[in-house]
Amino acid sequence: MTTTALDLGAQSAGVPLQRSDLPVLAVDLISDPSVLERIGQLAQDLERSGVGALTLSDGGLHPIHVASYLAPLTRTIALLPRTDAVYVEPFHLATQLMSLDHLSHGRAGWLLTAETDPAVPASVGRAALGPEDTAREAADVLEAARLIWDSWAQDAVVRDAARGVYVDAARLQYADFEGETFSVRGPAITPRSPQGLLPVLVTDVDRAAVGERVATELADGRVLDLDVSTGARPGAVADTVRQALTETTGPVVCLVRLVGLDLDADPLGTVAELTATLREQGLIAAAPSAEQSLRDQLSLPTAARTADPARRSDRGRLTSEDHA
Amino acid sequence: MSTTAPHRPFERTELSAEAAALVTGPAEHPLHPDHTPTGQLSFGAFFQGVNSSTIWRLPESGDQVAWESFEALVATAERGKFAAFFLGEGLRLREHRGVPFELDVAGRPDAQTLLAALAAVTEHIGLVATQNTTYNDPVDLARRLQTLDLLSGGRAGWNVVTTDNAWTGENFRRGGYLDHEDRYVHAEAFVQIAEQFWRGEQIEHEGAHYSVRAQGDLPRSAQGRPVLFQAGASPTGQDFAARTADVIFSPHGALAAAVDFRRSIVERTVAAGRDPGSVKILPGAEVVLAATEQEADEKVRWVRDLQIGPEQAIALLEQYWGRDLSSFDPEGPLPDVEPEVAESGVTRGAGFQFAKAQELTRAWREEAAEKGQSILEFARVQAGSRRGTFTGSYDAVAERLAEFARLGAIDGLNITPWLIPSGLDDIVDHLIPRLQERGVYPTEYAGSTLRENLGLPAL
Repeated sequence: MTTTALDLGAQSAGVPLQRSDLPVLAVDLISDPSVLERIGQLAQDLERSGVGALTLSDGGLHPIHVASYLAPLTRTIALLPRTDAVYVEPFHLATQLMSLDHLSHGRAGWLLTAETDPAVPASVGRAALGPEDTAREAADVLEAARLIWDSWAQDAVVRDAARGVYVDAARLQYADFEGETFSVRGPAITPRSPQGLLPVLVTDVDRAAVGERVATELADGRVLDLDVSTGARPGAVADTVRQALTETTGPVVCLVRLVGLDLDADPLGTVAELTATLREQGLIAAAPSAEQSLRDQLSLPTAARTADPARRSDRGRLTSEDHA
Repeated sequence: MSTTAPHRPFERTELSAEAAALVTGPAEHPLHPDHTPTGQLSFGAFFQGVNSSTIWRLPESGDQVAWESFEALVATAERGKFAAFFLGEGLRLREHRGVPFELDVAGRPDAQTLLAALAAVTEHIGLVATQNTTYNDPVDLARRLQTLDLLSGGRAGWNVVTTDNAWTGENFRRGGYLDHEDRYVHAEAFVQIAEQFWRGEQIEHEGAHYSVRAQGDLPRSAQGRPVLFQAGASPTGQDFAARTADVIFSPHGALAAAVDFRRSIVERTVAAGRDPGSVKILPGAEVVLAATEQEADEKVRWVRDLQIGPEQAIALLEQYWGRDLSSFDPEGPLPDVEPEVAESGVTRGAGFQFAKAQELTRAWREEAAEKGQSILEFARVQAGSRRGTFTGSYDAVAERLAEFARLGAIDGLNITPWLIPSGLDDIVDHLIPRLQERGVYPTEYAGSTLRENLGLPAL
């Protein structure tokens, strides 16, 4: 996604922007046990009203599993759990997220956060990290996750009955990630997922904790948060979005996320009204179709695999000449 | 509510000679004075996703990762009133001679992430995830399992597995840190922390391997907590299961071995101060069925041929010989060379390491020579012997299983289909109706939770 050749600053209210890759409208749902009964219906209703993505924030239930639960109940809406990159096992986290991508047919993404609540490290027996170490750890975990996601070629499962080969080890590679506090060998225990590399985004509220490197260099883009907890005037919301889209520095706004939606006060009405206004003014992308992955929705290019001969999984049986 | 008839004590005349010889008490307690058979069987469906048990060479062999494969298999299982859908886990891709093993099905989605999605498209079936205590954090895992339990309305299960494998540890922060002897000590502390979390308690754990401070903060699920499965076959593993598990996923498919295992578990359960009826035994099993015995015999040979090809047969031996055997003819006799290793274990991640290679390979050579078996024939028999196979005509298998149920040797089977996703079809269409006719299998789900559908007492 790029911002080149745009002159967004010249746009005035009501005139569609010329940006070809408009941000996707997302609604944040909290994974609170009290919403379990209605979260499936709510996700379906939001999908029908043209929302492009749901983000799942941690309210007790694990956001990745709540996103999984919603996957077979929906068809087009993207699913992005908002979950910690610091006090986790990178291998498990990467596996869980790529599994969500498999079972949602390429609709998965990751809102990367860096946990700052000291109760979380205490719950896994780790010391709370300071801001710099937190940011470094988040960057390491993201890099490790991408190496794991990228460890199987799309065509690694060959099913060659003539040779008796199911998976070709030459099309797998180790992650071989060495971070400051951990290392991960790989390859993934899960074949490459439909998107290969899941879109990784950072919300404005998480930007300080994850650090500038993750937010501006490593992540695929920014999430603009719009607090609608006290209701929302469509005009004001549109102005805020337009303002953010005209910014020429910093990460690109990929998602426009409605947070704090009051589920007891006509949430669908609120969302429908905002969606209509934002679409009319050309500030958000069209509703997704069934064939679109989240990368497609976000106009991210297809994730090409980075094959690294030095990490090939069959190196154990190669001679030195094969390596050259 | 269960619509199956209450258990009817069997008549001696109904038993086969083999079964009658194993009975030591009255029909109420045929195997052990402290154990009363329920006379009922529960089935689990075990989607392996790795290893040679699943045939990938046939046109009807489905995708091993596609959501549609899981959705189709679980739908068949639920149609057959299976109590549980069971997923395995291996935290490092299997390797053979230093390279990922290429010949078997490999690569599967994360169990709990997948089961959370299946919770949305199923109503009754239990959803059981194999999860490792060595390479997880107890509070994180407990939260994820309780999430699954709440999403599914009380249908979650956890197959508790341990490892001390440092090779697997290379994928995790801690690396290999656990001594073999400490596996179950660690696992037991881990399960206790998880149970505290599920009860909503304050957790203050200071142990040898980690310290944990946390507060259980999720509501209780409809079944109280996830059902605990355990597969320990060693004496230490059996004791661990007798103290902590609700279901033992045992390896015993033959009647005499299953009876011995039941007696052993009853003894250990009583010693642990628990009611023997609160621990169910579901052996892992493969089921190969046909209309007649002769067709079933032919079919099981066909299944083995497809599971173990010539390349896999050589690879199987290479694990024990510890050397390249690719120059040997799979149709010829077992290799007449000595193994290069003292202990087997070359294909990492497989569950049969540390055999004494010298003794074992010599014994195998003699056995195969005596039976006139080629490498391929021998490997197929070896692989098959580990699968706990029930094979025969629909009626014969139904009758054999009914006998297992009447004796109380087992409480059901955890069935690995050899074909995905259609591998449960003939079980559901032909075997289960015959078990229902014999009154040993439910015609409706007993309740809405996994605990209820396994016939486990309420917590």
